[in-house]
Amino acid sequence: MIFVVALVVLLPFLAAAAGLLASRLRTGREAPGDRAAYRRAAWFAIAAATASLALTVWLVLVLTRGAVPAGEGRPFWTDLLPGRLEGTLSVVETGSVPVAVSLRADGLSVLAGMLVVVVALAVQVYSVGYMRDEPRYPSYSAFVSLFTSAMLLVVYAGDLIVLYVGWEIMGLCSYLLIGHWWEDRANSRAAVKAFLVTRLGDVGFLFGVFTLGIAAGSFRIDDILRADIPTGTAVAGTLLLLAGVAGKSAQVPLQTWLPDAMAGPTPISALIHAATMVAAGIFIVARLYPVFLGAQPTLDVLGVVAAVGMLGAALAALAQDDLKRVLAYSTISQLAYMAAALAAGSDRAAMFHLVSHGAFKALLFLCAGLVIHHAGSNLMSHMGGLRTAMPVTFWTTTIGLAALMGLPPASGFFSKDAVIAAVEHSRGAAQPFLYASALLTVGVTGAYATRAWLRTFFGPARIEPLPEPPPGTAHVFDGREAPRSMLWPVGVLAVPALLLGFAGVREVDWGSAAVSLVVALLGAGIVYALWRGAPDQDPARMLGPFQAPCERAFYVDALYAALIVRPVLRLARGVVRTDAKVVDGAVRGSGRATLGLSTLVRLAQTGNAQLYVTGLLAGLLLIAVAAVVLT
Amino acid sequence: MHVVYPVVVSALLFSIGVYGVLARRNAILVLMSVELMLNAVNLNLVAFDVWLRDRLHGGQVLTLFVIVIAAAEVGLGLAIVLAVFRTRQTIDVDRLRALSERAPGEADGEVRS
Amino acid sequence: MSALPAVLLAVPLLGAAALALPVFRGRSTSAYGIAVSGAALVLALVVAAVFDYRDAGRIQLGLDVPWSPGLGLRFHLGVDGISLPLVVLTALLVFLCFVHLARHRPEGGRPRALAFTLLVLEVGMIGTFLALDLLLFFVFFEVVLVPMYFVIAIWGGPARRAAAVKFILYTLLGSALLLIGLLVVWAQTGTLDIADLAARHGSGIPRTAQVLAFLAIGVGLAVKTPMWPLHTWLPDAHTEAPTVGSVLLAGVLLKMGTYGFARIAIPVLPEGAATLAPWLGAFAVVGIVYGSLACLAQRDLKRMIAYSSVGHMGFVLLGFATLTPVGMNAALFGNVAHGLITGLLFFLAGAVKERYGTADMVRMGGGMLRRLPYIGSLLTFACVASLGLPGLAGFWGEMLALLGAFRPAAALSRPLFLVFMAVGGLGTVLTAAYFLVMLSRVTHGRPTETVPAGPPLTSAEEIREVLGPGEPVEPVATGTAVAEVEEPARPTWDVTGHELAAWLPLVALTLAFGLWPKALLAVTTPAVQAVLGQGVTP
Repeated sequence: MIFVVALVVLLPFLAAAAGLLASRLRTGREAPGDRAAYRRAAWFAIAAATASLALTVWLVLVLTRGAVPAGEGRPFWTDLLPGRLEGTLSVVETGSVPVAVSLRADGLSVLAGMLVVVVALAVQVYSVGYMRDEPRYPSYSAFVSLFTSAMLLVVYAGDLIVLYVGWEIMGLCSYLLIGHWWEDRANSRAAVKAFLVTRLGDVGFLFGVFTLGIAAGSFRIDDILRADIPTGTAVAGTLLLLAGVAGKSAQVPLQTWLPDAMAGPTPISALIHAATMVAAGIFIVARLYPVFLGAQPTLDVLGVVAAVGMLGAALAALAQDDLKRVLAYSTISQLAYMAAALAAGSDRAAMFHLVSHGAFKALLFLCAGLVIHHAGSNLMSHMGGLRTAMPVTFWTTTIGLAALMGLPPASGFFSKDAVIAAVEHSRGAAQPFLYASALLTVGVTGAYATRAWLRTFFGPARIEPLPEPPPGTAHVFDGREAPRSMLWPVGVLAVPALLLGFAGVREVDWGSAAVSLVVALLGAGIVYALWRGAPDQDPARMLGPFQAPCERAFYVDALYAALIVRPVLRLARGVVRTDAKVVDGAVRGSGRATLGLSTLVRLAQTGNAQLYVTGLLAGLLLIAVAAVVLT
Repeated sequence: MHVVYPVVVSALLFSIGVYGVLARRNAILVLMSVELMLNAVNLNLVAFDVWLRDRLHGGQVLTLFVIVIAAAEVGLGLAIVLAVFRTRQTIDVDRLRALSERAPGEADGEVRS
Repeated sequence: MSALPAVLLAVPLLGAAALALPVFRGRSTSAYGIAVSGAALVLALVVAAVFDYRDAGRIQLGLDVPWSPGLGLRFHLGVDGISLPLVVLTALLVFLCFVHLARHRPEGGRPRALAFTLLVLEVGMIGTFLALDLLLFFVFFEVVLVPMYFVIAIWGGPARRAAAVKFILYTLLGSALLLIGLLVVWAQTGTLDIADLAARHGSGIPRTAQVLAFLAIGVGLAVKTPMWPLHTWLPDAHTEAPTVGSVLLAGVLLKMGTYGFARIAIPVLPEGAATLAPWLGAFAVVGIVYGSLACLAQRDLKRMIAYSSVGHMGFVLLGFATLTPVGMNAALFGNVAHGLITGLLFFLAGAVKERYGTADMVRMGGGMLRRLPYIGSLLTFACVASLGLPGLAGFWGEMLALLGAFRPAAALSRPLFLVFMAVGGLGTVLTAAYFLVMLSRVTHGRPTETVPAGPPLTSAEEIREVLGPGEPVEPVATGTAVAEVEEPARPTWDVTGHELAAWLPLVALTLAFGLWPKALLAVTTPAVQAVLGQGVTP
């Protein structure tokens, strides 16, 4: 049985290998943009994703047959999918705590795995149209497959080191795909930044894995959850894990890479930087939730981080002009909601919001891709009035934005309500702060979602076709709706974005739901009123003097550049100078000193043989005299 | 005959040899001085051999060795002196300074390390 | 008793001797070199095949004959789990170097002499890994120096003489210290047999003598490893050496230093190791950070890879310093991984230098992925492997070294090693930083049409002139000497079949060990446990 899980993970990996090798070998010999290679790569990618989806569905069917464990307070995925599969393929002896190459499939992982394969399949199909004229499509689709495989490995891993392997490969894929259009230096820089910032968090994550693993005597997740870890160790370990979570899920203080990551192709933003990879951090906390519950200080820290992150990112989203950056900041804000739910003690709400957010944010990004594909620009100041030209996109985007704002009946309404209710009823040190921040953010979310909706689809058309589209950002404006292969995934994703929420309809706390609905509508109303007054101006002007700081995301980037990046580079130059002058200087200096000494000695070497013999004689006499005197 | 006579003679001979080696500038005279020193040693060897009444006559045997080696040495030495004279037109030891660290220019034109 | 190790040494030695025959005068030696090194590789694989993996901690295929009975020296060879991977790695790398040479005539000419030198080098390298007698180890350790000196001094770059002299003098100094340390051990125990000494776990040697001997042996090996701050011969030697020289230098010669720690210093002198391990660890982590920072500001590709070796060897030494089985495993794994990955990196750097006519990153400009897509992709792969991405070989060495530092041996201070671990962790971020910055600078962006020629650039102003006003000046070290560009060759051809043949085995092994680390760890773990004995296991 466990081999089925392994197959789910391995199939996209094989597709990636096949896509890289089989397609690339041809593009070398033939003209770039070779249709055969393109089609073959597309087939590899889509076939593997479909097969993984089918196997995941089969896993769901298997797991529904398990026995529901007794007891209260179990999360909904245990109710839905009570069974579990687990298997160890091999144990790697390290000389210390062994690494078990093991996989496990239970309700939580199949839930997340389902999200991953569905979005991945949608994105692969969508990319076939989106990347139509792209010469490097084969490597692109292979990297997406590799990413899918890595994410599935994270989801199904039964051992934290195995999980870490997938965790880092995801980071690599993110790097490669953000830098897909590497001709532009800015994209390349964004890719490097994304990898380095997440890597910084991952070092903490690895140390956290060490802490927990050594305390439990095993890296297996089951053993760690079962082990009796002392509170101090648990707090230290979970705080270190939190560093990795903050890095991957773009939470404060490591959030700065995500907006820049929008330099990648839009389908990538949908898959990696909205629906799946960034949610991996939340998933990890949920996976190890019993350990986190035993470490209250960690949850308090998480609460503060979430409270700061959600409001700050929402305000930044309100002031952005780039549509993708609006969605990126919105992603940070929504991930902070999930973190808030975890801090409030409800992994149920967090996972519920994770799944519904995955659906509607992927939908929103794919729609944004359609709009950008159509308009030839990322900037909202170049869009407007697209409602009539793109009816399908308009309606699907409306569904997505409604879910984002938390308007019934879209899925976001239910999941966000679950989060807010959890925060309201929690009892942590940071609870009042967190609750206030969550409610305020609901209002700001309403405002920025409305602004994006109005600026994109209503008002006067501001489209100006660019003369020569730079690679990556723009395609030529053709005034039509996108091709079918791009519309289908969008339409399919719109269904869960709209309806998924009804799965949690029984648990709705109608009181807090009403409050947050009113706040959201209030935020939306203000923006609408402003926009009605002047449809061709940006409603973000209501921020007044705060608009500039919000647009620059409160200057965190500049701060990091001044505090970390530049000092490190200065230090690097200093090290090279030191190396040449001091360390190597000492070596060369010792050589020179020896040569200098030798010149002193060489002065005695006059070439006069008689002088040498005189010296010899003098020495002989000296020894003779010494022998006589001393004996 | 008391042993002190040959020993004094040999000491004088040796001293003359040392003086010659250290002070003379002509390479042939330097070689001759070396011979003087060797012969001083030979004289010593023979004298002590007699005085000690060595049954194996080690002193005399060694003397024969030294004579043979000295003959070979002179042969080689004169050959070298001849070769030097052919190339440099001089056998003045003071001017043969090819091995000096800062060789004077007129003595040779060889590569200095 | 098995003659296999001796045959493994004899094949390249006789192969080298045969090159002196007049038959080879004026003929191409490339096929011959491939044949001889291929035979050695096959023999190494035979050794790996007949090796009993269930008993990897025991010394197998031993050959023990008297060498100099008066002194008690023995010609004692054998393999165990520690040396087996390195023997195979050495044979593989030498073979790949000959494959590479088949299409790349050495710039200094004299291909027959180069083949001879490389084969002698192979004898020394394999002998070092096989030797089980202290003095025999030392002899092979020294045999390697001379051919390497000639490889750098004859077939190297413009400043080869100085680099070669620095290399041989510096490493000879280390060897002298090593010899003193070995003699101290001999004087204290009266035996030179490594297996015998290791089985005693240091009993019979007083503590002070152990510390002194470990200091001497450790410093001697650290020069070769190289450990910060004894590393400065390395960048010069790597920058000037020809491609095959760089590959063997990084791939095998550095391993001889670390192998000495695993084979001699730690097993024979456990108390000395326990006393000095904190210092070793401290120098190791300083080396990690220092090497990474130095890489961040390098402009010469080969020099940067050389400095990256300092950082990677820091991880290896950190593994040793923990004195735990996991740390030793980390070090041995890191050794092999570094040999594969850095070997590949130097092959690639050589190929890049050949095509661009320079290894200076500023002059090369960007856009390698457009101009040379295959080499650019392989370079990306090698860099990603080298920065320690999980799933590739470089990760396991680093991860296990950090895991070892998380809980070092009982005799060592844990807080101190936690600090080492944290600093080492930061080092991994810096490692990623310099590799990605380099990739971004070289492989990304739009290619410039020609490589600007001229003398070395030394100041930011000159760099700006070369690049034009639009490009931002990336962080570079001013004043670093960069080789003069002679002929700005326009790179026109991508990877060739011979190059692929030489590189793909390294790529495949990097992937294989990364995805299946058990293949290597299963061999080293029993050996490491045997070496450390039961007393040190935490």
